[in-house]
Amino acid sequence: MKWWITPAAAQRTAERPTANPSLEDAVRRSVALARLDDLIAWGRKNSMWPFNFGLSCCFVEMATSLTSKYDIARFGAEVIRGTPREADVMVIAGTVFLKMAPIVRRLHEQMMQPRWVVSMGSCANSGGMYDIYSVVQGVDKFLPVDVYVPGCPPRPDAFLEGLVLLRDAVGRERRPLGWWVGPQGIDRGPRPSQRDAKREERMRATTLESPDEI
Amino acid sequence: MSDTVPAGDETLSEAGSPLPALRRRFGGDAVAVQRTSDDVPTCWVPASRAVEVLSWLKSGVERPYAMLYDLTAIDERTRRVAGSPPGTDYTVVYHLLSFERNADVRIKVALSGDAPEVATSTGVWPAASWYEREVWDMFGIRFAGHAHLRRLLMPETWTGHPLRKDHPARATEMGPFTLPDDRQERETEALRFDPGAWGLERRHEGEEFMFLNVGPQHPGTHGVLRVVLQLDGERIAGCVPEIGYHHRGAEKMAERQTWHTFIPYTDRIDYLGGVLNNLPYLLAVEKLLAIEVPDRAKTIRVMLCELFRIASHLVWYGTYAQDVGALSPVFYTFTDRERLFDVVAAICGDRMHPNWFRIGGVAQDLPRGWDRLVREFLGYFPARIDEYDRMVMRNRIFRARTERIGAYDVGAAIDWGVTGPGLRACGLEWDFRKKRPYSGYENFEFDVPTAQAGDGYARAVVRVEEMRQSLRIVRQCLEHMPAGDFKSRAAGAVPPIKDHTMHDIETLITHFLGVAWGPVVPPGEAFAAIEASKGSNGYYLVSDGDVHPYRARIRTPSFPHMQMLPEIVRGLTVADLLSVLGSIDFVLADVDR
Amino acid sequence: MLWPFGIYIAAAIAVVAAMIAVSYLLGERHDDLATGDPYESGIPPTGSARLRFPAQFYLVAMFFVIFDLEAAFLVAWAVAAPELGWLGYAEVVVFVAVLLAALGYLWRIGALDFGPTESALDRGRGREGKGAS
Repeated sequence: MKWWITPAAAQRTAERPTANPSLEDAVRRSVALARLDDLIAWGRKNSMWPFNFGLSCCFVEMATSLTSKYDIARFGAEVIRGTPREADVMVIAGTVFLKMAPIVRRLHEQMMQPRWVVSMGSCANSGGMYDIYSVVQGVDKFLPVDVYVPGCPPRPDAFLEGLVLLRDAVGRERRPLGWWVGPQGIDRGPRPSQRDAKREERMRATTLESPDEI
Repeated sequence: MSDTVPAGDETLSEAGSPLPALRRRFGGDAVAVQRTSDDVPTCWVPASRAVEVLSWLKSGVERPYAMLYDLTAIDERTRRVAGSPPGTDYTVVYHLLSFERNADVRIKVALSGDAPEVATSTGVWPAASWYEREVWDMFGIRFAGHAHLRRLLMPETWTGHPLRKDHPARATEMGPFTLPDDRQERETEALRFDPGAWGLERRHEGEEFMFLNVGPQHPGTHGVLRVVLQLDGERIAGCVPEIGYHHRGAEKMAERQTWHTFIPYTDRIDYLGGVLNNLPYLLAVEKLLAIEVPDRAKTIRVMLCELFRIASHLVWYGTYAQDVGALSPVFYTFTDRERLFDVVAAICGDRMHPNWFRIGGVAQDLPRGWDRLVREFLGYFPARIDEYDRMVMRNRIFRARTERIGAYDVGAAIDWGVTGPGLRACGLEWDFRKKRPYSGYENFEFDVPTAQAGDGYARAVVRVEEMRQSLRIVRQCLEHMPAGDFKSRAAGAVPPIKDHTMHDIETLITHFLGVAWGPVVPPGEAFAAIEASKGSNGYYLVSDGDVHPYRARIRTPSFPHMQMLPEIVRGLTVADLLSVLGSIDFVLADVDR
Repeated sequence: MLWPFGIYIAAAIAVVAAMIAVSYLLGERHDDLATGDPYESGIPPTGSARLRFPAQFYLVAMFFVIFDLEAAFLVAWAVAAPELGWLGYAEVVVFVAVLLAALGYLWRIGALDFGPTESALDRGRGREGKGAS
């Protein structure tokens, strides 16, 4: 879907609308045209509602990303929902304990489609440093995961990056409109690995800050 | 047994030790003394007389041991160096605290066989209930007469007792985890609450009770805690908290990590406390290794501990206000916490789990410019506490929601093992930093805030004032930071300071072994506790002369606080339950480890 | 004369039916094990929600009977008061007294009490501490 926002700086120098704009200009300024699929994907992407679900230490960093300095509200995600029926994104923030696994799965089943899962933190990605009898080695053992956010705990910035990646992926997804019309599968767009995407930039880093000075 | 001390030894006549009186009361053969690496008098009593001894120590001896500080067990079956009477398979350890003596005593009971059993001590202290359930869950030791001896930390469907030495530690040793539909249904049904199993009635005087799960997923429980409420309308008639959803097996993990590599796991016990958690573990290890920490390291440790105390209280402050309905303060307190984390991250390298303390000191020296950062924070923060006072503490709605809610008196607090702000809010001025100074706290000037009412508001008042006192301590650290080493140069302090290693082969070998294996701690046991942000956090370490602990017992403050919940909330409404949960200030990882 | 109402009713029914139909037709479906179960923080509920609740939860009904119907009767009496004379007044006093007795009974059995019990709020002032230094 194509739509415009005029940046503030450009507005000062932009041409003022003429008294008699052509029909084409007037239409372009006041009407946005989009395909239905694109419009729905755009709406979903900009209002991802997280599920109020946190397991462990990573949840504190997720809560920090809701507060003023990191401000998840910029991404339309400040509407945290306590019930899975209303939530879109389930962020598995923290270690997945064996005792919690059936409950996590039950909550995921009670979420309504469309729903996504973000695995936040090392413990949720793979069990992390807890290779112990009471911890499931990664939430993807029993849940389909869309984005993995590494860290122990990931900084709120890292979590926000994961959320932005998920948003962009959701913007590329096409889901069925209804059970009676259109293709019925979920068409997930490409989800490139960030490790490959950032490799070039990371290889260029040759100066590391010393810990001896602020 | 090399550690048992025969009668007549000088340990028996130490002032403050109850062991002579114990011997006179129960006879010489009933009491066998053991020497340990810390100053806690320890003795063995036979299982048949255990409850009698404990009961006498609680109320019979003069200046009695009023609080059950900890109750745990040790699996002695794979020991190389004997630490118990011959033939012992399991040891049950009772750790008691006396406020009047300002001293502890440790009573050990030796058990053997496949089905070890000892009488319950819930008749002496109600706080023993969950401790005994945990010992049953982890070790398989039965407590005869316990009302509800069920699993506490592991799911009901679990088989085996995890802290036994023959139970596998790693998840990767136990086969891949799958959750097929039949397992899901079985586990879900096992979770369904059965009131009859807990002795709760379903109906009363013509009305029926509603059983509500304030479940593991709830915004008000601050994590994965399950509280099952027996509701009479809106009023709570009964309450069963269920924990274990956050059990990460830290004690089992200690048995296969080296003394040094276990430090990151301690960070995550009270995940809001950061390096405050490293300290009791390291104090206990340093006792076992007899390492003296240099003054600069002590002061750095104190400064960072107080900064993390402020950080933990800021999270409590914002979320407590949010629990009772004030939605703005949490944004302010978390922003302040970010400023604090700027200081912490500059010094330690990471925000939330720095694991920066090391055996014998800290990981590195303070970076150049640290004093500017700390001074900036000290200039910024006091005005904010005053602002929160106006915003929250003097707010009429906040007071209405927290005064008289969740109250208990000091007798109940001591019976249930409450320490920290919860105890000080009942009027008892007890702060382990003052009563048993550690890591140089005796050199600092600060006050210990107390309150009288013992309710949620009183606990809030105590914590807010604690933040101010912590700022005072940080200012003293800033102004009087001694010069010197940041880590001890003793043999056990690993990783060793590097400036010697490149000069000769001996120090290089020592450095290599220190980094690869860590210290080999001589056999013995030691206990150290600190005043953590939530109460008293203690580590009881047992060493077998190896590179890893034989048993690491982590006594956390939030465990007994959570146990007290049914007593506090009976008769309050569901909305008050959330206010009470906020005022207790627990962290789930602190409860379950 | 009534045909606008008919159109209005038909339109209301049509709008509601359209909303229900559209939400039935649109969107994806899924039905896992627990999807249709009531949500209770991830745990299956204990017992049913159809319980015998305490009397406080029928306050609205009680107050309606006690005061609203009473007011209706009082208004009816007030309109006819002059004709009914002192006998009618006495009857209405008896009527109000019976309803006041019902209110007193509800007050006594605690049906008007919400909130925590007094004993729960006073727990802070209990016995003296034992073993305190």
